[in-house]
Formats: sequence, structure tokens, C-alpha cells
Amino acid sequence: MTVNNKTLTPKMSLESMSHKAVYVAFIGVFILFSMTAEGFLNFDNFSNLIANKVVLLAIVALGMTIVIAAGGIDLSVGVSIDLASMAFIMMIGAGHNGVFAVIVAILVAACVGLTNSLLINKLKIDPFLATLGVLFIGKSVQQLATSGGVPIYLTKSEFAAPFEAITRTSLFGIPTPFLVLVACVIAVYLALHRGKFGRYVSALGAQPGVAKYSGIRVPFQLTLVFVSCSVLCGISGVLLSSTVRSYVPLAGDAFLLDAIGATFIGTAISKERKPSVFGTILGVLFLAMLRNGLLLLGLNFFWQQVGIGLLVFIVLGLSFGLRKRAE
Amino acid sequence: MNSVAVEMRDVSKVFGPVKALNQASLTIEYGTIHGVVGQNGAGKSTIIKVLAGIYRHDEGSIFVEGKELKSITPKIIEKCGIHFIHQDRLLVSTATVAEAIFLRNEPTFGPFINHRKMNAQATELLQRYFDLELDPTTLITDLSTAQQKIVQITRSLSQNAKVLVLDEPTAALVTKEVESLFTVLRRLKEEGIAIVFISHYMSEIESICDTVTVLRNGENVGQVSPKEVGIEKIVTMMTNRDTSEMYPRRNVEVGAPVLEVDNLSLASHFDSVSFQVGAGEVVGLAGLLGSGDKEVLQSLFGLLPPDSGTVSIDGTSHKFRSPVNAVENGIAMIPEDRRAHGVAVNLSIAENITLASVDKISKRGFVNRQEEIESVDALIEELGVKTPSGDMLVRNLSGGNQQKVVVAKWLSCDSRVYLLDEPTVAVDVGSKIEIYGLINRLAAEGKGIVFVSSDFEELAEMCDRVLVIYKGEIIGEYEGSSINSEQLLAAASGKKITINRSAV
Repeated sequence: MTVNNKTLTPKMSLESMSHKAVYVAFIGVFILFSMTAEGFLNFDNFSNLIANKVVLLAIVALGMTIVIAAGGIDLSVGVSIDLASMAFIMMIGAGHNGVFAVIVAILVAACVGLTNSLLINKLKIDPFLATLGVLFIGKSVQQLATSGGVPIYLTKSEFAAPFEAITRTSLFGIPTPFLVLVACVIAVYLALHRGKFGRYVSALGAQPGVAKYSGIRVPFQLTLVFVSCSVLCGISGVLLSSTVRSYVPLAGDAFLLDAIGATFIGTAISKERKPSVFGTILGVLFLAMLRNGLLLLGLNFFWQQVGIGLLVFIVLGLSFGLRKRAE
Repeated sequence: MNSVAVEMRDVSKVFGPVKALNQASLTIEYGTIHGVVGQNGAGKSTIIKVLAGIYRHDEGSIFVEGKELKSITPKIIEKCGIHFIHQDRLLVSTATVAEAIFLRNEPTFGPFINHRKMNAQATELLQRYFDLELDPTTLITDLSTAQQKIVQITRSLSQNAKVLVLDEPTAALVTKEVESLFTVLRRLKEEGIAIVFISHYMSEIESICDTVTVLRNGENVGQVSPKEVGIEKIVTMMTNRDTSEMYPRRNVEVGAPVLEVDNLSLASHFDSVSFQVGAGEVVGLAGLLGSGDKEVLQSLFGLLPPDSGTVSIDGTSHKFRSPVNAVENGIAMIPEDRRAHGVAVNLSIAENITLASVDKISKRGFVNRQEEIESVDALIEELGVKTPSGDMLVRNLSGGNQQKVVVAKWLSCDSRVYLLDEPTVAVDVGSKIEIYGLINRLAAEGKGIVFVSSDFEELAEMCDRVLVIYKGEIIGEYEGSSINSEQLLAAASGKKITINRSAV
């Protein structure tokens, strides 16, 4: 290494800077908000932010990360979230056991992923269009099932037990949803970055033809990819409906673009621009921090979006621009 | 009449380390049909692309009607009346015949296309040149391939083409259509148009060309008349070169059969194909484009499941419905399109090598990185992949080294039978020699090898046996050191010629 150091230094530093641009931006924005936004640098703000904004989005974004790593996209994450949420609330409302309700909700979400993979594998529809179709149908199904989109509220105290079990119980004072997120992060990390599954996923993402010509069961792996994404969305849906103790039709739609955004922001930290668990989590934190900070600065909702857009451009432009220079 | 239309003099073109053209010359006269022949990589397509203005030549000069062209772009060339009919049809399939002929030259009435006039002119042109009654409002999709070629030619003629260059015009045509196309070409020749005809079908070259320019390794080895010298002489000119250094020898005793193919058939691709490959044996399949040689390989690999017939590996018979079964049962494929099917260039060398054998280095679904690094490093060392480490991206490797990664992938899962589909396509000569070394190594390890290549010299030199496949059937088998590329080429072209062959 020492031999080459001299010649490599200028190129290496530019390249390493480009990887670090996301971190630098993250820390920079953090410091900026800490100084300017009142109430930002505050433990309650952070724990509230993580509990309410980060956990749900992060779990969905993990699912999206798997799909994007496999070269696909899942536009139907909202449907998985909502249908799981609907099933969960309906089961609880009908007086079923909480654990049973969770299992049914996750299975319902898994069916969305199964539908996606059937469309992709059997009908050879591009993931974008397959999941878009499922998104349209899923929206209508919810509206039909709730007479046009009327939310189901379970605020009466007789229903409180299962919700409290999910949201309030804590180990050493840590809320359960956060523990669920940690479990999901570990599981997806192991599968994607340490497991056989991850190898197949990255081969599919890099060059599907090579995966096929290497004797990989491409349809089976794609099914795993889309089902695991939907299951993660289902988990997020259960957490969501437990938090608000209700099912609000189409509430899951809000996660779609943020999940895609977080995943792609996350690719900026890897040299090959590959989606990664760590990158995605960083992307989720980045987006949540931007929203929170701009809100605390007193920017109204519409200007928040402009602010987020601009900051994302600056960060990604910086990191990819520097990389291009380095190359 | 015989005045020179185009002269290309001492044209050279270098791609990286490869000299695609080395002082090649081409002289085309009006009123003649001029063949350009050569093996793959001989420089046929390069010289044509230089003339078309697609590539810029490094040296040499090009004259049109005696005047030197200083700068060449596709537009200037078209203005000179030189038109190209490319191999893959470039007509808009939803257009009508008249629209295709007059695309971008439509007769207009103010800002509008005058359809009536356009259709009438199209009818007239088709009739004048080809005696062809074709409704000008027919859609291109509804035409036969031969008719589409004629529409393309008509389009060129409508723009006053004086030189027509046809690249493999008969590749997708059936015999009858070829005849009608030849009638058209002869008629155009009578009209004084110069025609450049590129084909690897020797029988066609013999029947239609007045003169032939033979290219070999980017140089032209002569301009001859096929009627005077005969096709055998041309084939010899195409293939003859010093081969002693190119092809490393191997000394392997052929063992018991590893692959037995019995009566394998697939409708409209191949019929009743049977052969055996022994351990350590390299068996070539020699066929021209569309002969079914590639489809046989794809069937053996489960990509194109056959209609009937059996495939046995080490005596056990199998039915391969997908590459998954084929790989599990010890079949390996070195595909022609390396970047689409062979290696994922944006993954690391290690990830590529272990892709088909992750199971072996995994426990309960987790990859054992230590074991992976050890086995990958061993393979990198064994095959001599030029890289500092297995974590490098495959993108950074040369073509030959990428091919080694593909081979390493199959070595790591102990494949028994290797299917090689054009393994040396698009690599430089040095890499070719390395790939031949790899083939010999595989043979020495007792693998069975099926080798498909359109470079017949390579087949002749590297194979223990070569099967010639023509229109989906095996029509000949050549064995031992007596195989030579001339007889393979002649046999694969469907041309029966007798040079002392050792057919079985």
C-alpha cells in the first residue's frame, strides 16, 4: 500500500470525500438546526421524532432497500401497510386475540407481496408496472371496504390492552416499536449483507441475466424479495395502527416516496452506489431530521417540501459530483 | 462502364491493442457485384463501417469517383450516392411501404404529405426496378423479410443510390427469397449500379459475385474472381495463417463419456441431434448463423427445453427444464454475451466466482467469508486472474480475465460438462491464447467440453472432434489432427466439396 500511496492520494481523497459527503451534510444540517431551530437539540424532541417518524418509515424503507437492491421497485408498500393495518384493527375490533390479529395482519401484507411476485414472475410484468397496478387496486379495495374511506377508530378502553402491549411495553424503558425496528435492522442486515440471500439479491440487481445463467432460482428469489418487503410493511402497519388505535384508509401512501428517497440517499455512502441497510437508515434519519428541523424553524408545510428537496439535491449532487470528478 | 466507384486505399483502424484493419484496400467498380469475405474479426464490418462514416480510419485514404474524401460522415457518404442495407432491418414496422420508401423525402403539398402522389411514386419505383406489384399501403410488418429488403433497396434507389452495400442480406431469408433477391441484384448490376455484398455463405458468393476481396486479420490478402479461382481457393485465403503459436497443444487421454446426447430435437431449431463427449474431450459444433448450433447448447443448459430426446451426464439421464437443473447436475455455460450473462461487472470478482456455489460456502444461510476468500484466492491464483484481490470489481478486468472469472465460477461448483458459446468473441489475441489454455486445462481435469464458435480455424485447432451442423442437423463429423477450417467452412455452408476429409 505504501508504495502506491503517493500516486493514489489525490484521487483517493476526492473519492473518499464523496463517500463522506452524506455524513458531512448530515452533521452539518444537525449543527445548523441545533443552533437555529429552537427545541431541536432536546432529548424529548429526538425520542418523539424517533418514535413517531423514524421507526415506521425505517421499517418500510428496509423493505424497499431489499427490493431496490434486487433491481426492482415496490410502489405498493402503502397497500401492504394499509391492508395489514385494516386487518389488524378489524380483528381487534371483532374481539380476537392480539397475537392472532398481528399474525393475520402480517399474512395479509405477505399476500400483497405474493401478488406482486406472481405478476412479475408469471406474467413477466415489469416490477414498476406490476406494483403500480397493485397500488391502484389496493386503494380501491380499501375504499370499497370502508364505504368510501371512513376510518375505523377503536378508542374505547375495552380495546386498549393489545395496543398498549405493542406501544407502551418497554424493556429497560425502551419502547417496543424501537425494539422491533432494531430487530428488523439486524434481520435485514444479516440477510442482505451476510447471507446467501443477499448474494442472489445483488446478482439480480447487478445483472439478472448472469443470475439466470448461474443456475439461480430467479423467480423464487424475486418472490422472497417482494414478500419480505411486504411483510416489513405489514409490521410497520401494525405499529402504525397500534399507535393511533385506528385504521385510516390510504394512510400508508405517505411512506412510499420517503422510503424510496431514503434508500437512494443511502446509496450515496457506498462506492458502488448500492442500497445498504446502513445507508437506508441514515437516509431515513436524514429525511426525518430535515422535516423536524424545518418545522421547528417555523417553515410552513409547503415550504418544508421545498427545503427538503433543495437539501437532498445539495447532498446528493455533492457526493455524486465529487465522485464523477474522482473518476 | 467499368469505372471505379469507390476506392479505399491502405486503410488502417486500431481499437486499443487490436489492429482491426491493417492497410486494407477495397476497389469497387460500377456495374459489378463485389463480395467482401473473411472470418469473424477479419475486418469485414470494420471496413464497411469506415466507408459508412461510422468509424474514423486512422490511416489511408478513400476516393469516390476518383475524388478523395477528406472528412467522412454518414451524411456525406449518402450524398455521394453510397447506401447501406444493414443486416438487421431498420424499417419502421408500423409504416406503410410508401412511407418507408420516402421517409424524410415525402412528396409534399404545402406542409402536408401528398399521400396520393407518394403512393403512386412508390408503385412506379417498385415496378420499374423489380417488376413487383406491391400495394404501397401495405404495412411493413405484413411483408416477408425478402420484401422488406426490397423496400429498403427501393428506398436507396429513390435517393439515387449508385453504390449499394448489403451486409449479410440473406441471413434471415429462405432459399426461394434468396433467389428473388439475387434476381433483383443482377438487374441492378445491369443498370450500372455497384453492389458490395457481404456474406459468409460461400455458395452465395460464388453464384453472385464478379469479384471478391478477401480479408484476413485486417489485411487484404487479395482480390479474385470466384469463377476463375473457385471457392476452395478463397476459403484457403480466408483461413490460412500461421497457427503454431496461437493454439497451445494438449495431451489428454479421452476417457469415458460424461455427456451423452441422444436424438435431441426442438421444433424449428434442430432435429435428432446425437453425440457423446468423453472426459477430457473437446467437441466442436460448427455451424453458420441460424444453423441451430447455439440452440443445441441452450437446450443442453435448460434455456430452451427440447421437445424430445435425452441428455445423460455420467450415465444418468436428465430432463433440463431450466438452467437451475442443468447447473445442479454439473453443466456449466460460458455464454457468448459475457456482460449480459457471464459476469456481473459491477459485482466483485469473489461475488461472481461464488455465485453458482454459495451453498458450498454457506451454513444455515450465512456466507462464510473466510472460506470464500480462501477458495476465491485459490482460483484466482490457479487461473492467473490479474487482480490484486478478489474484492475488485469485475468491471476493472480485461475481457480475457473476465472470461477466467466465468470459468472460475464453474470450477468452484465442480461442473462436469462445459458448454462454450463463442468464448473468444471480442477479446484480443493475447486473451484468446489464454482462453485456449483454459480450455486445455479443463480438458486435462477430465471435463467434457462442447465448443461452439463461428471461428472455424479455432474449432479445427482446438477440438478433438468437430460436428458440422447445417439447418438443424448434424451432417458431418471430423476427427483428429486432420480437421481443417476449410472443410468445416465448406461443409457448414452446405457446399459439398471434397478435400481429403476424414468423415466418419
